[in-house]
Amino acid sequence: MTASTASAKEGAPNTAARGSATAFRDFAPIAVVAVLLALVPLNFHDSRSMMTVIIAGMLFLSYTIAFNVIFGSTGQLFLCTGALAGIGGFGSVILSDRVGIPMTLSIVLAGAVAAVFGGLLSWIAVSRSLDTIFTGIVTLAFSLSFQNFVLGRRDLTGGENGLRVEAGKDGLLDTQVKPYYVFLALAVAYLILFRLLQRSHIGWAFRALRDDEVAAELSGVDVTRYRVYAGIIGSAMLGVAGAIFAHHRGFIGTSTYSFGSVDVRVLVMLAFGGIGTLIGPVLGAAVFTILDEILVSYAQLREVLYGVVTVGLFLGFRQGVIPALSSLWDRVVSSGGRGRKST
Amino acid sequence: MTAVVLDGIVLGLQFAILGAGLTLVYGLGGVVNLAHGQMAVFSAIVIARLIDHGVSTFLAVMIGIAAVGVLGLLIDLSLMKPVYRQKGESRVLLGLLLMLGVGFIIDGVLEWKYPIEALTIRISGDPIPILGVNMRRGSLIASGIIVVVGASLVLFFRFTTFGRATRSVIQDERGARLCGVNPATVRTVIFGLSGVLAGVVAVTRAMSTPVVSTAGVDLTIFALIVAVVGGLGSVSGSFFAGILLGIVNTFSAFYIGTYITTIVLLLAAALTIVLRPSGLLGEKP
Amino acid sequence: MTVLELAGVEKHFGGLPAVNGVSLTVDEGEILALVGPNGAGKSTLLKAISGLQPATRGSAKFFGEELVGMKAHVVRQLGISMVLQTPRVFESMTVRENVIVGATFGVTGDRPSAAQAFARAEDALGFVGLAGYADAEVDSLNLHQQRFLELARSLAGQPKLLLLDEVMAGLNDTELQASIDIVRTARDELGVTVIWVEHVMKAVMSLAERVVVLNFGQILADGSPADVMAHPEVVTAYLGTEMKT
Repeated sequence: MTASTASAKEGAPNTAARGSATAFRDFAPIAVVAVLLALVPLNFHDSRSMMTVIIAGMLFLSYTIAFNVIFGSTGQLFLCTGALAGIGGFGSVILSDRVGIPMTLSIVLAGAVAAVFGGLLSWIAVSRSLDTIFTGIVTLAFSLSFQNFVLGRRDLTGGENGLRVEAGKDGLLDTQVKPYYVFLALAVAYLILFRLLQRSHIGWAFRALRDDEVAAELSGVDVTRYRVYAGIIGSAMLGVAGAIFAHHRGFIGTSTYSFGSVDVRVLVMLAFGGIGTLIGPVLGAAVFTILDEILVSYAQLREVLYGVVTVGLFLGFRQGVIPALSSLWDRVVSSGGRGRKST
Repeated sequence: MTAVVLDGIVLGLQFAILGAGLTLVYGLGGVVNLAHGQMAVFSAIVIARLIDHGVSTFLAVMIGIAAVGVLGLLIDLSLMKPVYRQKGESRVLLGLLLMLGVGFIIDGVLEWKYPIEALTIRISGDPIPILGVNMRRGSLIASGIIVVVGASLVLFFRFTTFGRATRSVIQDERGARLCGVNPATVRTVIFGLSGVLAGVVAVTRAMSTPVVSTAGVDLTIFALIVAVVGGLGSVSGSFFAGILLGIVNTFSAFYIGTYITTIVLLLAAALTIVLRPSGLLGEKP
Repeated sequence: MTVLELAGVEKHFGGLPAVNGVSLTVDEGEILALVGPNGAGKSTLLKAISGLQPATRGSAKFFGEELVGMKAHVVRQLGISMVLQTPRVFESMTVRENVIVGATFGVTGDRPSAAQAFARAEDALGFVGLAGYADAEVDSLNLHQQRFLELARSLAGQPKLLLLDEVMAGLNDTELQASIDIVRTARDELGVTVIWVEHVMKAVMSLAERVVVLNFGQILADGSPADVMAHPEVVTAYLGTEMKT
């Protein structure tokens, strides 16, 4: 864990000769995305409902990047994105409102709790060498148990009535335009973290173990450790994002973090944009946020649409938009050249 | 006490048939049908609509079960084709995600068109005492149907040529091909059969509780839990696990509380995967 | 100095012994060929040493350190590197990147800096003669080159013991000679000890300094190539049929 910051300075091993050039190429897309997204509120700042929509879009971008660390980088099918964010959300609210811890600290602590859960799930999956499907089912079971826990422990969570959030009122998170920039900053921070991971030795381990686990072990990569790293880092990101959202929204309920409202969207957004890519989550979150807005008056149709998109996506377009575009780009620019795969 | 056990068995039989439908499709093609519960609800709503339009209950039930069987066939013949072209992990993942999508579509359409529709099949008559416990007629008839269906399944797989062919595909797809069994045909028929089983779930469940149009996701989850605990791919495992979990369910609901019950069942599934991935009856890894 | 000391190593698959009590001492700088009929347990023995398929019983000491029970990546980091019969390369990476993974993670002690790993990868690629392919995608390499790539990935971690599993099967004469030269140079220049499973008798006779024959999971003969080939039991058990080819 501590090595991630240390080795971020080293950069990817092959940047020895052309360090600053690749650093520019690696981080420029994030800068472009940040600038473009920062301009969005100019159009909508006077519409409260639109701001709500685009803030939710930013939140889901953060979720999707976090899920990308776990599923995209190391192939662990975590079907508990919502539950981990919910641990952050409910955890932070309980810590701040009931226990009386300052909000910033409670967000950090809740993120840490989510990280513990995620790391544990990851450790179980890896040490029992569960395949994708069994990892999916175990995490789904965890997700639904969390859901039932929230419903059942009304004393802590408010059950189906939900929980009113006190901490965060009268602050940066209260109005509409300011919190947008908080969530934008979070998403950009996550993108930078994702890129730093990719460029560090952890990123090399991720790529190696995703390509071929046995070959990775034979090359000296501790597959268990790096999978668990991914579980911990991604879950902490989910927990923190879920917690900040809780304090912004001022109210959380059973559906805020449910499988149906979080996991499904995150999965579709990532698959659409491109699993394992940096910019894929941005594209996925943007497209589906716009779609949601268009379909806002046909709430019932939304589920059907998600179904159709999921089916269509995996049927015809498995790799996602960003990889498709980048391989097209590669073909156009260097006809059959040597371009390094980096998206 | 006896009442709790008997209720548990009644519920367990429903669990069993639910898990059996899911486990068959997985055993054959590696597809985790995350739309299984939604298919059951689809059939329930078809039956309910037909009854609303004056069709006799028996005919409506037959049509509803046939309809979901055909739906299974169609899904296999269309969406599952590219899945079966994949191998190993990517086949499982693609199948799972596609059926997740199909689940959304069925769920979404049902909630959109028939948000308040529900299927209830009333069985009139007094309760029948069994071991000193008064059991509702509906529950008993439902259990009877499931036992008959389950027994026919077992006989079908043991003694018919097609049943044996199915088992050979479950054991070894390539070997089956060499013996002249076409795995694709077997898979298609079994997907249809799994649909029929989903229809049976809808009908038998409707004899004791209303099957509402939003029940799909929950049913899928129960099917998944049962199939996992019984060992994915094992029909007899599903029956064993279904009855066991049914009893666990009623006991836990009776003595602890309902929200814990679901968690207990989910934990059972998770623990099975972690400790005995091949299921309770399966061989040790 | 003793590099590897096996004592009563057994590996069972579902009760059936594939390796059935192998005891063996390997000295630093040896090139030892492990031969025997199919199913004699040669590959299984290598995989047991490397931690890929942990031994059921017995002990395997590497410079006195017990290997049994260690995971494959730990064994690799101790300085034992294995090259598989069927190459397993990282498909999404270039040739150089494949080797960088080995140079970064497969080393004893501290992880090298990025620049160091890069330099070691370059050296290893040059050593096996793949320097010209550094930026190529791995799927553009043929089987023979992919094995060399695996060898480079191994060497980039500066191992002390190389385990090679039938890496010379199916090569033509030129490729075979190149492989033999590379393995010998690795020993001569890098001081690597080599244990190597081989079916190609020509390679065994020209490269091995010591031959161990396995049959039914046990050692049948152990000695110089010439002695072992003359061993009557070896001739009946195995070589009698294959010598002609």
